[in-house]
Amino acid sequence: MDRRRINGPAGATQPPVFDDVVSQGAKTVSGRSRMPDASRKMYLKTGVTPSASGSAYLEMETSAKPGASGLKLSCSVHGPRALPRSAPFSPHIVLSTHIKYAPFATKQRRGYLRDPSERDLGIHLEAALRGAIIADRWPKSGVDIIISIVEGDQDRETSKSQGEEAWDMMNALAGCITVAAAALADAGIDCVDTVAGGVAALVQDGGADSTPTIVVDPIPSDHAKILAACCIAYLPTRDEVTNLWFRGDLPASDMDLYTHLVEKGILASRNANCVLTNCLMETIE
Amino acid sequence: MTTPTIDLPGPIFAKLAPHPYQLRALSRGARTNGRATQEPRALSINASPLSHAHGSALVRLGDTTVLCGVRGELLPVEQIPQFRPLGGEEEYLEGEYGGAGGIGRGELRDYDLLVPNIELATGSAPQFLPGVPPTALAQTLSTRVYSLLHAAGLVKAGDLRVWYRPGEGKKQEDGGMEGVEQEVAEEDRVVAYWVLYIDLLFLSYDGNPFDAAWAAVVAALRDTKLPVTRWDPDREMVVCSRAEERKLNIKGLPVACSAAVFMEKEQSEAVTVAGDGRNWILLDPDRLEETLCKEMITIVVDCSDGETRIKSLEKQGGTVLGRELIRGFVGVAEERWAEVQMAMK
Repeated sequence: MDRRRINGPAGATQPPVFDDVVSQGAKTVSGRSRMPDASRKMYLKTGVTPSASGSAYLEMETSAKPGASGLKLSCSVHGPRALPRSAPFSPHIVLSTHIKYAPFATKQRRGYLRDPSERDLGIHLEAALRGAIIADRWPKSGVDIIISIVEGDQDRETSKSQGEEAWDMMNALAGCITVAAAALADAGIDCVDTVAGGVAALVQDGGADSTPTIVVDPIPSDHAKILAACCIAYLPTRDEVTNLWFRGDLPASDMDLYTHLVEKGILASRNANCVLTNCLMETIE
Repeated sequence: MTTPTIDLPGPIFAKLAPHPYQLRALSRGARTNGRATQEPRALSINASPLSHAHGSALVRLGDTTVLCGVRGELLPVEQIPQFRPLGGEEEYLEGEYGGAGGIGRGELRDYDLLVPNIELATGSAPQFLPGVPPTALAQTLSTRVYSLLHAAGLVKAGDLRVWYRPGEGKKQEDGGMEGVEQEVAEEDRVVAYWVLYIDLLFLSYDGNPFDAAWAAVVAALRDTKLPVTRWDPDREMVVCSRAEERKLNIKGLPVACSAAVFMEKEQSEAVTVAGDGRNWILLDPDRLEETLCKEMITIVVDCSDGETRIKSLEKQGGTVLGRELIRGFVGVAEERWAEVQMAMK
């Protein structure tokens, strides 16, 4: 019970339950309309929060309705600033990342306190950015990177929820990495390169015995089954991977499959990086 | 010793000595942000930006950006500790149309059906960083929005009731909540209520949060469409229709208008020599101006019935604004109302 917020009625409220069988039956797996190697369209803009040192906003296209956007992220960077006196000495900049889903971001209403999955995302993001920032330029200072997931990447109509959360988190993380890189650049924090996130997945569109294919930037509702996915943070000019997050179930014998998945993840993050550099170039002009 | 000439660019001067900087600008007839004293920032409202919420709005007031999402959840009456079933037809009609501003029998307040919360800790400004409990400002804002929601009677309790009409099911298959005007059979009863979670997220903060937040709440509520509901007696639960939606009936259009009073003397001196020196009333203060001003006024007006009604008046922190000035300020608020009404369309 959080006394500092308005909590509403004492009794538990339930999200609406829908019963229209007709519309549910009509909605099946729509299939992927893009090429396997094509990423979704992305909109990126810097400078949305003028009082922050740097900020950026990212929108990703969704598949359900053409033109409508799925993932929406807002990121602000505060700092670099002096660490409080009580903090121990640090020869590098201290990154603190904070990712929070807005209460209205997902199908189920989210609370205001961060849950473990959001903390997990924050740690992944920190790992991805730490490899890109030239940290020893700011000893004894800290920077806060705060991302609000305004809208999650979920299809509103799909009724099935076969553990899709996990895959949605990967897409969200890829977006977070890209938007944070844009905000860091906007804040003028020196980085070795622009880092961008990308997701690749091994999907099985047909039945259980069809051959799985690797796609870039997957949308869980487009595919019948996702076997594995990996989210990559990649520095293109240095050809370095700063963070790799793999999830799923693959036979250990097939090393090629892993390598292919990582390669496709790198491809996805290269795609995102094009948008990122274009956006930053536009800002400079 | 010669006094060194100070040649500082504006922004640095503003950081070092904000009060003299603002004072000098005002003496020349404009604020530091280039606006006239009675000139508000442009307000833009973008309805339905979110897909998961039942109603949403994005409001931009200069550099203040706030996003509001309204989400309905169902509260079965068994979950309400002190539930009083609605009495006969008379009582329920009164709740529907009469009562104080359409708030019904106090159901909204008694059962706590409106839940507004304001989140500032999104990095919207350097002083609001996450990881700490909500700041005093965030708590105050949430409470102000909460009390104004109830006082202004924006939402009708009738819109949030979910009925079970055993007689109607035979006549038409999906009765739902419509046809409230129809004669009430004896067995009709309220089985649940919609609870509206109104969540406000500040994406960017540059002063005057209440005006922006309130405009976002009103715009999001006007945009809210709740699914048509039906009580399923077999499963003993409320089920919603995906196809049919019903708009909320929002009564009136209250608009908040805030101003801050800037004193010629700095705050620490002003306490000792009150009523001395010039002062300026700054409409729609930004972040810098808010930190320099102690006295604030917020007035909520509604001119949608043709005449101006004051829904709320809040003033704190000083003695400059007297009766005459407040009366004059109502005129300013009326102008603001017309601007906001244009933006709502």
